[in-house]
Amino acid sequence: MISRKEFLKRSAALAAGTALPLWLSDGDREVSTRPDITILYTNDTHARLDPFPDNALQFAGLGGIARRASLVKKIRAQEKNVLLLDAGDVFQGTPWFDVYGGKVDLKLMTEMSYDAMAVGNHEFDRGPDGFAEAAQKAGFPILASNYHVQNTPMNPYVRRLLVKSIDGFRVGIFGLGIELDGVVPKELQGDVRSRNPEAWARGMANSLRDYHKCDFVVCLSHIGYSYDDDRIDDVKIAERVKGIDLIIGGHTHTFLDEPVAITNPEGKTTLVTQMGHGGVRLGRVDLNLNRSDAPFALTSQFYTIGKDSLS
Amino acid sequence: MKYISLQAVLFSLLILSGCSTTSSVSEEGGDSATDSEITYPEPDPEIAGILESYRNELDQETGKRVAVITDTLKFGQPEGALGNLVSDALRYRASRELRSFVNVGVIGEISFGLFLTPGDLTVGEVLEFMPYENHLVVLTLSGRKIQELANQIASIGGAPVSGLRFRIEGDRARGVLVNSQVLNPDSYYTVATTSWVANGGDQFPALWEYSDRNDLYDVDVRQLYIDHFESRREIYPVIDGRVR
Repeated sequence: MISRKEFLKRSAALAAGTALPLWLSDGDREVSTRPDITILYTNDTHARLDPFPDNALQFAGLGGIARRASLVKKIRAQEKNVLLLDAGDVFQGTPWFDVYGGKVDLKLMTEMSYDAMAVGNHEFDRGPDGFAEAAQKAGFPILASNYHVQNTPMNPYVRRLLVKSIDGFRVGIFGLGIELDGVVPKELQGDVRSRNPEAWARGMANSLRDYHKCDFVVCLSHIGYSYDDDRIDDVKIAERVKGIDLIIGGHTHTFLDEPVAITNPEGKTTLVTQMGHGGVRLGRVDLNLNRSDAPFALTSQFYTIGKDSLS
Repeated sequence: MKYISLQAVLFSLLILSGCSTTSSVSEEGGDSATDSEITYPEPDPEIAGILESYRNELDQETGKRVAVITDTLKFGQPEGALGNLVSDALRYRASRELRSFVNVGVIGEISFGLFLTPGDLTVGEVLEFMPYENHLVVLTLSGRKIQELANQIASIGGAPVSGLRFRIEGDRARGVLVNSQVLNPDSYYTVATTSWVANGGDQFPALWEYSDRNDLYDVDVRQLYIDHFESRREIYPVIDGRVR
Protein backbone atom coordinates (compact mmCIF):
# COMPACT_ATOMS: atom_id res chain seq x y z
CA MET A 1 0.00 0.00 0.00
CA ILE A 2 1.32 3.38 -0.97
CA SER A 3 1.24 5.96 1.76
CA ARG A 4 -0.68 9.16 1.24
CA LYS A 5 2.50 11.21 1.20
CA GLU A 6 4.08 9.08 -1.46
CA PHE A 7 0.95 9.30 -3.52
CA LEU A 8 1.05 13.06 -3.23
CA LYS A 9 4.60 13.04 -4.49
CA ARG A 10 3.67 10.88 -7.43
CA SER A 11 0.84 13.23 -8.24
CA ALA A 12 2.90 16.34 -7.77
CA ALA A 13 3.81 16.54 -11.45
CA LEU A 14 0.12 17.08 -12.09
CA ALA A 15 0.25 20.47 -10.41
CA ALA A 16 -1.18 22.96 -12.82
CA GLY A 17 0.63 25.84 -14.44
CA THR A 18 4.18 24.82 -13.66
CA ALA A 19 6.87 22.54 -15.00
CA LEU A 20 8.59 22.27 -11.63
CA PRO A 21 7.80 19.30 -9.47
CA LEU A 22 5.98 20.42 -6.37
CA TRP A 23 6.50 18.68 -3.07
CA LEU A 24 3.92 19.11 -0.42
CA SER A 25 6.54 19.03 2.29
CA ASP A 26 8.31 21.91 0.54
CA GLY A 27 6.80 24.46 2.91
CA ASP A 28 8.61 27.56 1.65
CA ARG A 29 6.41 27.82 -1.39
CA GLU A 30 3.30 28.10 0.71
CA VAL A 31 2.29 31.76 0.67
CA SER A 32 -0.84 32.10 2.71
CA THR A 33 -3.37 30.05 4.53
CA ARG A 34 -6.33 29.89 2.19
CA PRO A 35 -8.28 26.75 2.91
CA ASP A 36 -7.96 23.97 0.36
CA ILE A 37 -10.85 22.77 -1.74
CA THR A 38 -11.71 19.09 -1.65
CA ILE A 39 -13.72 17.55 -4.48
CA LEU A 40 -15.32 14.16 -3.72
CA TYR A 41 -16.99 12.22 -6.50
CA THR A 42 -18.80 9.10 -7.61
CA ASN A 43 -20.19 7.79 -10.91
CA ASP A 44 -22.46 4.99 -12.12
CA THR A 45 -23.74 4.12 -8.66
CA HIS A 46 -26.61 2.25 -10.39
CA ALA A 47 -29.09 2.05 -7.51
CA ARG A 48 -26.50 0.27 -5.36
CA LEU A 49 -27.86 1.70 -2.11
CA ASP A 50 -26.99 -1.40 -0.10
CA PRO A 51 -23.47 -2.82 -0.27
CA PHE A 52 -22.93 -5.55 -2.88
CA PRO A 53 -24.36 -8.73 -1.32
CA ASP A 54 -22.01 -11.38 0.03
CA ASN A 55 -22.91 -13.69 -2.86
CA ALA A 56 -22.17 -11.07 -5.54
CA LEU A 57 -19.86 -12.35 -8.28
CA GLN A 58 -17.89 -9.06 -8.01
CA PHE A 59 -17.24 -6.62 -5.15
CA ALA A 60 -19.00 -8.74 -2.50
CA GLY A 61 -19.58 -6.68 0.65
CA LEU A 62 -18.23 -3.42 -0.79
CA GLY A 63 -19.95 -0.05 -1.20
CA GLY A 64 -23.30 1.08 0.23
CA ILE A 65 -24.61 4.63 0.39
CA ALA A 66 -24.83 4.80 4.23
CA ARG A 67 -21.15 3.94 4.54
CA ARG A 68 -20.25 6.37 1.76
CA ALA A 69 -22.24 9.02 3.66
CA SER A 70 -20.31 8.51 6.87
CA LEU A 71 -17.00 8.70 5.00
CA VAL A 72 -18.12 11.95 3.37
CA LYS A 73 -19.21 13.27 6.76
CA LYS A 74 -15.80 12.44 8.23
CA ILE A 75 -14.02 14.28 5.41
CA ARG A 76 -16.36 17.27 5.78
CA ALA A 77 -15.39 17.41 9.45
CA GLN A 78 -11.72 17.60 8.45
CA GLU A 79 -11.93 19.89 5.42
CA LYS A 80 -13.64 23.26 5.27
CA ASN A 81 -14.52 23.33 1.59
CA VAL A 82 -15.95 20.14 0.16
CA LEU A 83 -17.70 19.70 -3.18
CA LEU A 84 -19.55 16.41 -3.72
CA LEU A 85 -20.28 15.44 -7.33
CA ASP A 86 -21.67 12.50 -9.31
CA ALA A 87 -21.13 11.81 -13.01
CA GLY A 88 -24.47 10.11 -13.71
CA ASP A 89 -26.23 6.74 -14.01
CA VAL A 90 -27.67 6.81 -10.54
CA PHE A 91 -30.63 4.90 -12.02
CA GLN A 92 -30.99 1.16 -12.77
CA GLY A 93 -29.14 -1.87 -11.46
CA THR A 94 -30.83 -3.16 -8.31
CA PRO A 95 -34.43 -3.79 -7.18
CA TRP A 96 -34.33 -0.36 -5.50
CA PHE A 97 -34.69 1.11 -8.97
CA ASP A 98 -37.35 -1.40 -10.02
CA VAL A 99 -39.50 -0.33 -7.07
CA TYR A 100 -38.68 3.39 -6.60
CA GLY A 101 -37.37 4.57 -9.97
CA GLY A 102 -34.43 6.52 -8.52
CA LYS A 103 -36.38 8.58 -5.96
CA VAL A 104 -34.65 7.06 -2.94
CA ASP A 105 -31.20 7.51 -4.48
CA LEU A 106 -31.80 11.20 -5.24
CA LYS A 107 -33.32 11.83 -1.82
CA LEU A 108 -30.35 10.27 -0.03
CA MET A 109 -27.89 12.14 -2.26
CA THR A 110 -29.69 15.35 -1.25
CA GLU A 111 -29.40 14.41 2.43
CA MET A 112 -25.67 13.91 1.83
CA SER A 113 -25.50 17.41 0.28
CA TYR A 114 -24.37 16.44 -3.19
CA ASP A 115 -23.64 19.67 -5.07
CA ALA A 116 -24.42 18.42 -8.58
CA MET A 117 -24.76 15.37 -10.81
CA ALA A 118 -24.56 14.72 -14.54
CA VAL A 119 -27.35 13.09 -16.56
CA GLY A 120 -26.48 9.49 -17.46
CA ASN A 121 -28.17 7.50 -20.21
CA HIS A 122 -29.92 5.29 -17.64
CA GLU A 123 -31.55 8.40 -16.20
CA PHE A 124 -33.85 7.97 -19.26
CA ASP A 125 -34.86 4.41 -18.37
CA ARG A 126 -38.35 5.59 -17.45
CA GLY A 127 -38.43 8.43 -19.97
CA PRO A 128 -38.37 12.18 -19.26
CA ASP A 129 -41.51 11.81 -17.11
CA GLY A 130 -39.92 9.16 -14.90
CA PHE A 131 -36.82 11.31 -14.60
CA ALA A 132 -38.86 14.35 -13.59
CA GLU A 133 -40.81 12.37 -11.01
CA ALA A 134 -37.60 11.20 -9.33
CA ALA A 135 -35.82 14.55 -9.79
CA GLN A 136 -38.41 16.23 -7.54
CA LYS A 137 -36.45 14.56 -4.73
CA ALA A 138 -33.16 16.11 -5.86
CA GLY A 139 -32.20 19.22 -3.91
CA PHE A 140 -29.18 19.84 -6.13
CA PRO A 141 -28.76 20.83 -9.80
CA ILE A 142 -28.59 18.12 -12.45
CA LEU A 143 -26.23 19.19 -15.22
CA ALA A 144 -26.29 18.46 -18.95
CA SER A 145 -25.14 21.36 -21.13
CA ASN A 146 -25.66 19.55 -24.43
CA TYR A 147 -29.19 18.23 -23.79
CA HIS A 148 -32.02 20.32 -25.16
CA VAL A 149 -34.77 19.86 -22.56
CA GLN A 150 -37.01 22.86 -23.20
CA ASN A 151 -40.69 21.90 -23.35
CA THR A 152 -39.98 18.53 -21.75
CA PRO A 153 -40.72 17.41 -18.18
CA MET A 154 -36.95 17.47 -17.49
CA ASN A 155 -36.72 21.24 -18.01
CA PRO A 156 -37.20 22.35 -14.37
CA TYR A 157 -34.43 20.06 -13.14
CA VAL A 158 -31.67 20.20 -15.73
CA ARG A 159 -29.14 23.04 -15.96
CA ARG A 160 -26.09 23.61 -18.09
CA LEU A 161 -23.61 24.78 -15.52
CA LEU A 162 -22.99 25.80 -11.95
CA VAL A 163 -20.48 28.22 -10.41
CA LYS A 164 -19.34 27.84 -6.80
CA SER A 165 -17.38 30.69 -5.30
CA ILE A 166 -15.30 29.40 -2.42
CA ASP A 167 -13.47 32.11 -0.50
CA GLY A 168 -13.14 33.99 -3.76
CA PHE A 169 -11.87 31.00 -5.74
CA ARG A 170 -14.39 30.26 -8.47
CA VAL A 171 -15.08 26.68 -9.45
CA GLY A 172 -17.17 26.22 -12.61
CA ILE A 173 -18.91 22.91 -13.25
CA PHE A 174 -20.75 21.89 -16.41
CA GLY A 175 -22.47 18.65 -17.39
CA LEU A 176 -21.94 16.64 -20.56
CA GLY A 177 -24.31 13.87 -21.65
CA ILE A 178 -23.80 11.05 -24.14
CA GLU A 179 -25.39 11.30 -27.59
CA LEU A 180 -28.76 9.66 -27.08
CA ASP A 181 -29.36 7.99 -30.45
CA GLY A 182 -28.18 4.39 -30.36
CA VAL A 183 -27.87 4.45 -26.58
CA VAL A 184 -31.34 5.42 -25.35
CA PRO A 185 -34.34 3.94 -27.19
CA LYS A 186 -36.26 6.63 -29.15
CA GLU A 187 -39.44 6.13 -27.15
CA LEU A 188 -37.56 6.87 -23.91
CA GLN A 189 -35.91 10.05 -25.23
CA GLY A 190 -39.24 11.87 -25.47
CA ASP A 191 -38.62 15.34 -26.89
CA VAL A 192 -35.14 15.61 -25.40
CA ARG A 193 -32.43 16.18 -28.02
CA SER A 194 -28.72 15.68 -27.52
CA ARG A 195 -26.27 17.98 -29.23
CA ASN A 196 -22.60 17.66 -30.10
CA PRO A 197 -20.69 17.09 -26.82
CA GLU A 198 -17.43 18.56 -28.09
CA ALA A 199 -19.00 21.81 -29.33
CA TRP A 200 -20.91 22.27 -26.09
CA ALA A 201 -17.89 21.45 -23.95
CA ARG A 202 -15.98 24.16 -25.81
CA GLY A 203 -18.79 26.65 -25.32
CA MET A 204 -19.15 25.88 -21.63
CA ALA A 205 -15.41 26.04 -20.93
CA ASN A 206 -15.13 29.40 -22.70
CA SER A 207 -18.16 30.77 -20.90
CA LEU A 208 -16.94 29.60 -17.48
CA ARG A 209 -13.46 31.05 -18.08
CA ASP A 210 -14.28 34.32 -19.81
CA TYR A 211 -17.74 35.30 -18.62
CA HIS A 212 -18.00 33.59 -15.23
CA LYS A 213 -14.30 34.24 -14.45
CA CYS A 214 -13.72 30.75 -13.07
CA ASP A 215 -10.34 29.73 -11.65
CA PHE A 216 -11.01 26.01 -11.99
CA VAL A 217 -13.31 24.24 -14.47
CA VAL A 218 -14.79 20.78 -13.94
CA CYS A 219 -16.57 18.81 -16.65
CA LEU A 220 -19.02 16.33 -15.16
CA SER A 221 -19.23 13.88 -18.04
CA HIS A 222 -21.24 10.78 -18.85
CA ILE A 223 -19.88 10.20 -22.37
CA GLY A 224 -17.35 7.48 -21.44
CA TYR A 225 -13.63 7.35 -20.76
CA SER A 226 -12.09 6.20 -24.04
CA TYR A 227 -13.19 4.30 -27.17
CA ASP A 228 -11.09 2.69 -29.87
CA ASP A 229 -13.33 4.12 -32.60
CA ASP A 230 -14.26 7.71 -33.39
CA ARG A 231 -17.01 8.07 -30.81
CA ILE A 232 -16.36 11.14 -28.65
CA ASP A 233 -15.00 10.35 -25.18
CA ASP A 234 -13.41 12.08 -22.18
CA VAL A 235 -9.88 11.68 -23.52
CA LYS A 236 -10.82 13.27 -26.87
CA ILE A 237 -12.58 16.16 -25.08
CA ALA A 238 -9.43 16.70 -23.01
CA GLU A 239 -7.24 16.67 -26.13
CA ARG A 240 -9.46 18.98 -28.18
CA VAL A 241 -11.01 21.49 -25.75
CA LYS A 242 -9.08 24.10 -23.81
CA GLY A 243 -10.02 25.52 -20.46
CA ILE A 244 -11.03 22.34 -18.61
CA ASP A 245 -8.96 21.37 -15.56
CA LEU A 246 -10.71 18.16 -14.54
CA ILE A 247 -13.08 15.75 -16.26
CA ILE A 248 -14.96 13.55 -13.82
CA GLY A 249 -16.32 10.82 -16.07
CA GLY A 250 -18.70 7.90 -16.11
CA HIS A 251 -20.56 5.46 -18.40
CA THR A 252 -17.69 3.06 -19.18
CA HIS A 253 -17.40 1.93 -15.51
CA THR A 254 -13.67 2.51 -15.72
CA PHE A 255 -11.56 2.15 -12.58
CA LEU A 256 -8.76 4.73 -12.85
CA ASP A 257 -6.40 4.45 -9.89
CA GLU A 258 -4.98 7.86 -10.74
CA PRO A 259 -6.28 10.64 -12.96
CA VAL A 260 -4.91 10.48 -16.50
CA ALA A 261 -3.09 13.67 -17.51
CA ILE A 262 -3.83 14.88 -21.05
CA THR A 263 -2.24 17.91 -22.70
CA ASN A 264 -4.99 20.20 -23.98
CA PRO A 265 -4.77 22.59 -27.00
CA GLU A 266 -3.38 25.35 -24.75
CA GLY A 267 -0.54 23.09 -23.68
CA LYS A 268 -1.98 22.84 -20.19
CA THR A 269 -3.00 19.70 -18.38
CA THR A 270 -6.55 18.37 -18.30
CA LEU A 271 -7.02 15.51 -15.87
CA VAL A 272 -9.48 12.70 -16.61
CA THR A 273 -10.77 10.51 -13.80
CA GLN A 274 -13.49 7.90 -13.16
CA MET A 275 -14.35 5.67 -10.18
CA GLY A 276 -15.66 2.42 -11.68
CA HIS A 277 -19.25 1.78 -10.65
CA GLY A 278 -21.60 0.68 -7.89
CA GLY A 279 -20.23 3.10 -5.30
CA VAL A 280 -17.33 0.78 -4.55
CA ARG A 281 -14.99 3.76 -4.58
CA LEU A 282 -15.18 7.41 -3.57
CA GLY A 283 -12.80 9.63 -5.52
CA ARG A 284 -11.04 12.64 -4.03
CA VAL A 285 -9.16 15.60 -5.53
CA ASP A 286 -7.63 18.27 -3.30
CA LEU A 287 -6.75 21.74 -4.55
CA ASN A 288 -4.02 23.46 -2.57
CA LEU A 289 -4.47 27.18 -3.16
CA ASN A 290 -1.45 28.34 -1.13
CA ARG A 291 1.19 28.40 -3.84
CA SER A 292 3.32 31.34 -4.87
CA ASP A 293 4.17 29.71 -8.19
CA ALA A 294 0.78 28.52 -9.42
CA PRO A 295 -2.90 29.23 -8.80
CA PHE A 296 -3.29 25.79 -7.28
CA ALA A 297 -1.62 22.41 -6.83
CA LEU A 298 -3.69 19.31 -7.21
CA THR A 299 -3.45 15.97 -5.46
CA SER A 300 -5.63 12.95 -5.87
CA GLN A 301 -6.58 9.75 -4.10
CA PHE A 302 -9.50 7.38 -3.75
CA TYR A 303 -11.13 5.30 -1.05
CA THR A 304 -12.42 1.77 -1.45
CA ILE A 305 -15.45 1.46 0.76
CA GLY A 306 -14.92 -1.85 2.53
CA LYS A 307 -16.88 -4.13 4.77
CA ASP A 308 -17.70 -3.25 8.35
CA SER A 309 -14.73 -4.04 10.51
CA LEU A 310 -17.07 -5.82 12.91
CA SER A 311 -18.83 -8.13 10.44
CA MET B 1 -37.65 1.02 -34.61
CA LYS B 2 -37.06 -2.40 -33.20
CA TYR B 3 -33.55 -2.26 -34.53
CA ILE B 4 -32.75 0.98 -32.75
CA SER B 5 -34.14 -0.21 -29.47
CA LEU B 6 -32.25 -3.48 -29.78
CA GLN B 7 -29.02 -1.62 -30.34
CA ALA B 8 -29.79 0.51 -27.34
CA VAL B 9 -30.44 -2.49 -25.17
CA LEU B 10 -27.22 -4.07 -26.33
CA PHE B 11 -25.25 -0.98 -25.58
CA SER B 12 -26.76 -0.35 -22.22
CA LEU B 13 -26.19 -3.98 -21.26
CA LEU B 14 -22.61 -3.72 -22.29
CA ILE B 15 -22.20 -0.72 -20.08
CA LEU B 16 -24.13 -2.07 -17.14
CA SER B 17 -22.23 -5.31 -17.11
CA GLY B 18 -19.01 -3.36 -16.93
CA CYS B 19 -17.31 -5.65 -19.37
CA SER B 20 -14.04 -4.82 -20.87
CA THR B 21 -14.53 -1.79 -23.09
CA THR B 22 -11.59 -0.32 -21.23
CA SER B 23 -9.59 -3.38 -20.31
CA SER B 24 -6.32 -1.59 -20.96
CA VAL B 25 -7.03 0.48 -17.89
CA SER B 26 -7.09 -0.98 -14.41
CA GLU B 27 -10.00 -3.41 -14.42
CA GLU B 28 -9.12 -5.35 -11.32
CA GLY B 29 -11.38 -3.07 -9.34
CA GLY B 30 -11.74 -2.31 -5.69
CA ASP B 31 -10.95 -5.74 -4.39
CA SER B 32 -7.27 -5.48 -5.24
CA ALA B 33 -7.00 -1.88 -4.11
CA THR B 34 -3.22 -1.73 -4.01
CA ASP B 35 -3.16 2.03 -4.42
CA SER B 36 -6.29 2.59 -2.43
CA GLU B 37 -7.02 3.56 1.07
CA ILE B 38 -9.56 0.95 2.13
CA THR B 39 -11.92 2.43 4.65
CA TYR B 40 -14.38 0.61 6.85
CA PRO B 41 -16.86 3.29 7.78
CA GLU B 42 -19.78 2.50 10.02
CA PRO B 43 -22.98 3.22 8.10
CA ASP B 44 -24.18 6.77 8.73
CA PRO B 45 -27.19 6.34 11.04
CA GLU B 46 -29.21 9.15 9.46
CA ILE B 47 -28.84 7.89 5.89
CA ALA B 48 -29.29 4.27 6.98
CA GLY B 49 -32.46 5.29 8.82
CA ILE B 50 -34.01 6.92 5.76
CA LEU B 51 -33.03 3.93 3.65
CA GLU B 52 -34.69 1.57 6.13
CA SER B 53 -37.90 3.60 5.97
CA TYR B 54 -38.19 2.65 2.30
CA ARG B 55 -37.18 -0.98 2.75
CA ASN B 56 -40.57 -2.31 3.80
CA GLU B 57 -42.18 -1.44 0.49
CA LEU B 58 -39.14 -2.79 -1.34
CA ASP B 59 -39.45 -6.07 0.53
CA GLN B 60 -43.19 -6.23 -0.11
CA GLU B 61 -42.61 -5.96 -3.82
CA THR B 62 -39.47 -8.01 -4.20
CA GLY B 63 -39.32 -10.14 -1.04
CA LYS B 64 -41.66 -12.80 -2.38
CA ARG B 65 -40.09 -16.27 -2.24
CA VAL B 66 -39.77 -17.99 -5.59
CA ALA B 67 -37.84 -21.10 -4.52
CA VAL B 68 -35.68 -22.63 -1.82
CA ILE B 69 -32.00 -23.15 -2.52
CA THR B 70 -30.90 -26.40 -0.81
CA ASP B 71 -27.17 -26.05 -1.36
CA THR B 72 -24.81 -23.40 -2.75
CA LEU B 73 -24.87 -23.12 -6.55
CA LYS B 74 -21.88 -21.53 -8.24
CA PHE B 75 -20.55 -20.98 -11.70
CA GLY B 76 -17.48 -23.07 -12.29
CA GLN B 77 -15.10 -24.50 -14.85
CA PRO B 78 -15.11 -26.69 -16.76
CA GLU B 79 -18.66 -27.10 -15.45
CA GLY B 80 -20.62 -25.52 -12.60
CA ALA B 81 -24.04 -26.30 -11.12
CA LEU B 82 -25.24 -22.73 -11.65
CA GLY B 83 -24.01 -22.71 -15.24
CA ASN B 84 -25.96 -25.91 -15.88
CA LEU B 85 -29.10 -24.40 -14.38
CA VAL B 86 -29.01 -21.11 -16.32
CA SER B 87 -28.29 -22.73 -19.69
CA ASP B 88 -30.83 -25.54 -19.18
CA ALA B 89 -33.49 -22.97 -18.25
CA LEU B 90 -32.97 -21.08 -21.53
CA ARG B 91 -33.16 -24.25 -23.61
CA TYR B 92 -36.24 -25.68 -21.85
CA ARG B 93 -38.15 -22.41 -22.09
CA ALA B 94 -37.25 -21.98 -25.75
CA SER B 95 -38.52 -25.51 -26.47
CA ARG B 96 -41.79 -24.73 -24.72
CA GLU B 97 -42.26 -21.40 -26.50
CA LEU B 98 -41.55 -22.84 -29.95
CA ARG B 99 -43.33 -26.14 -29.22
CA SER B 100 -40.39 -27.93 -30.73
CA PHE B 101 -37.16 -29.38 -29.41
CA VAL B 102 -34.31 -26.88 -29.01
CA ASN B 103 -30.87 -28.51 -29.15
CA VAL B 104 -28.54 -26.20 -27.23
CA GLY B 105 -28.62 -23.44 -24.59
CA VAL B 106 -25.67 -21.14 -23.93
CA ILE B 107 -25.03 -18.00 -21.84
CA GLY B 108 -21.81 -16.69 -20.29
CA GLU B 109 -21.31 -16.12 -16.58
CA ILE B 110 -20.73 -12.41 -17.35
CA SER B 111 -24.50 -11.98 -17.74
CA PHE B 112 -25.09 -12.66 -14.03
CA GLY B 113 -24.59 -10.75 -10.79
CA LEU B 114 -24.88 -13.35 -8.04
CA PHE B 115 -24.28 -16.96 -7.14
CA LEU B 116 -26.96 -18.67 -5.06
CA THR B 117 -26.68 -19.50 -1.38
CA PRO B 118 -28.85 -21.87 0.70
CA GLY B 119 -32.20 -20.54 1.90
CA ASP B 120 -35.15 -18.68 0.43
CA LEU B 121 -34.61 -17.18 -3.00
CA THR B 122 -36.66 -13.98 -3.48
CA VAL B 123 -37.81 -12.09 -6.56
CA GLY B 124 -35.40 -9.31 -5.59
CA GLU B 125 -32.47 -11.72 -5.61
CA VAL B 126 -33.44 -13.04 -9.03
CA LEU B 127 -33.51 -9.44 -10.29
CA GLU B 128 -29.93 -9.03 -9.03
CA PHE B 129 -28.99 -12.49 -10.26
CA MET B 130 -30.05 -11.46 -13.80
CA PRO B 131 -29.81 -7.64 -13.62
CA TYR B 132 -30.36 -6.91 -17.31
CA GLU B 133 -33.43 -6.45 -19.43
CA ASN B 134 -33.17 -8.72 -22.43
CA HIS B 135 -35.22 -11.32 -24.23
CA LEU B 136 -34.91 -14.90 -25.38
CA VAL B 137 -33.43 -15.58 -28.82
CA VAL B 138 -33.26 -18.87 -30.74
CA LEU B 139 -30.56 -19.12 -33.38
CA THR B 140 -30.15 -21.82 -36.01
CA LEU B 141 -26.52 -22.83 -36.51
CA SER B 142 -24.75 -25.31 -38.76
CA GLY B 143 -23.00 -28.27 -37.15
CA ARG B 144 -19.70 -26.67 -38.08
CA LYS B 145 -20.62 -23.58 -36.11
CA ILE B 146 -21.67 -25.76 -33.16
CA GLN B 147 -18.19 -27.33 -33.20
CA GLU B 148 -16.74 -23.81 -33.29
CA LEU B 149 -18.94 -22.82 -30.34
CA ALA B 150 -17.74 -25.89 -28.39
CA ASN B 151 -14.15 -24.95 -29.22
CA GLN B 152 -14.71 -21.40 -28.02
CA ILE B 153 -16.17 -22.73 -24.77
CA ALA B 154 -13.20 -25.11 -24.44
CA SER B 155 -10.66 -22.38 -25.12
CA ILE B 156 -11.84 -20.39 -22.09
CA GLY B 157 -11.90 -23.50 -19.90
CA GLY B 158 -15.67 -24.07 -19.95
CA ALA B 159 -18.86 -21.99 -19.92
CA PRO B 160 -22.54 -22.54 -19.08
CA VAL B 161 -23.96 -24.77 -21.82
CA SER B 162 -26.93 -27.11 -22.17
CA GLY B 163 -27.48 -29.94 -24.67
CA LEU B 164 -23.79 -30.33 -25.52
CA ARG B 165 -21.34 -32.86 -24.05
CA PHE B 166 -17.62 -32.80 -24.78
CA ARG B 167 -14.18 -33.03 -23.22
CA ILE B 168 -11.60 -30.26 -23.30
CA GLU B 169 -8.22 -31.18 -24.79
CA GLY B 170 -5.86 -28.22 -24.82
CA ASP B 171 -8.04 -25.44 -26.15
CA ARG B 172 -10.26 -27.69 -28.32
CA ALA B 173 -13.53 -29.54 -27.73
CA ARG B 174 -13.27 -33.28 -28.51
CA GLY B 175 -15.99 -35.89 -28.95
CA VAL B 176 -18.82 -33.36 -29.16
CA LEU B 177 -22.29 -34.87 -28.61
CA VAL B 178 -25.46 -32.88 -29.25
CA ASN B 179 -28.37 -34.32 -27.25
CA SER B 180 -26.41 -37.59 -26.89
CA GLN B 181 -25.75 -37.92 -30.62
CA VAL B 182 -22.50 -37.37 -32.44
CA LEU B 183 -22.32 -33.85 -33.89
CA ASN B 184 -23.01 -33.82 -37.63
CA PRO B 185 -21.19 -30.89 -39.28
CA ASP B 186 -23.76 -30.85 -42.10
CA SER B 187 -26.85 -30.78 -39.88
CA TYR B 188 -28.52 -27.69 -38.45
CA TYR B 189 -29.15 -27.14 -34.74
CA THR B 190 -31.17 -24.64 -32.71
CA VAL B 191 -29.45 -22.66 -29.94
CA ALA B 192 -31.26 -20.74 -27.17
CA THR B 193 -29.54 -17.69 -25.72
CA THR B 194 -30.30 -14.07 -24.74
CA SER B 195 -30.55 -11.04 -27.00
CA TRP B 196 -27.43 -9.57 -25.42
CA VAL B 197 -25.35 -12.68 -26.10
CA ALA B 198 -26.80 -13.02 -29.63
CA ASN B 199 -25.97 -9.36 -30.31
CA GLY B 200 -22.31 -10.00 -29.59
CA GLY B 201 -22.17 -9.01 -25.94
CA ASP B 202 -20.52 -12.22 -24.80
CA GLN B 203 -17.44 -14.05 -26.05
CA PHE B 204 -18.93 -16.58 -28.48
CA PRO B 205 -18.30 -15.36 -32.06
CA ALA B 206 -19.63 -18.70 -33.40
CA LEU B 207 -23.11 -17.41 -32.56
CA TRP B 208 -22.72 -14.39 -34.83
CA GLU B 209 -22.88 -16.40 -38.06
CA TYR B 210 -26.28 -17.99 -37.77
CA SER B 211 -28.48 -19.17 -40.60
CA ASP B 212 -31.65 -18.07 -38.80
CA ARG B 213 -32.52 -15.87 -35.84
CA ASN B 214 -35.82 -15.90 -33.98
CA ASP B 215 -36.30 -13.10 -31.43
CA LEU B 216 -38.87 -14.01 -28.78
CA TYR B 217 -39.44 -10.41 -27.70
CA ASP B 218 -42.19 -11.35 -25.26
CA VAL B 219 -39.98 -13.67 -23.23
CA ASP B 220 -38.13 -11.41 -20.81
CA VAL B 221 -35.11 -13.28 -19.51
CA ARG B 222 -35.49 -11.97 -15.94
CA GLN B 223 -39.06 -13.28 -15.90
CA LEU B 224 -37.84 -16.50 -17.52
CA TYR B 225 -35.60 -17.18 -14.52
CA ILE B 226 -38.30 -16.20 -12.01
CA ASP B 227 -40.66 -18.66 -13.77
CA HIS B 228 -37.98 -21.34 -13.86
CA PHE B 229 -37.25 -21.11 -10.14
CA GLU B 230 -40.95 -20.97 -9.24
CA SER B 231 -41.76 -24.07 -11.25
CA ARG B 232 -39.05 -26.07 -9.49
CA ARG B 233 -39.56 -24.78 -5.94
CA GLU B 234 -36.46 -26.61 -4.61
CA ILE B 235 -33.17 -25.89 -6.33
CA TYR B 236 -30.21 -28.21 -5.83
CA PRO B 237 -26.87 -28.37 -7.61
CA VAL B 238 -26.46 -30.82 -10.49
CA ILE B 239 -23.15 -31.67 -12.11
CA ASP B 240 -23.41 -34.22 -14.93
CA GLY B 241 -20.04 -34.14 -16.63
CA ARG B 242 -21.29 -32.37 -19.75
CA VAL B 243 -18.01 -30.43 -20.04
CA ARG B 244 -14.97 -32.21 -18.63
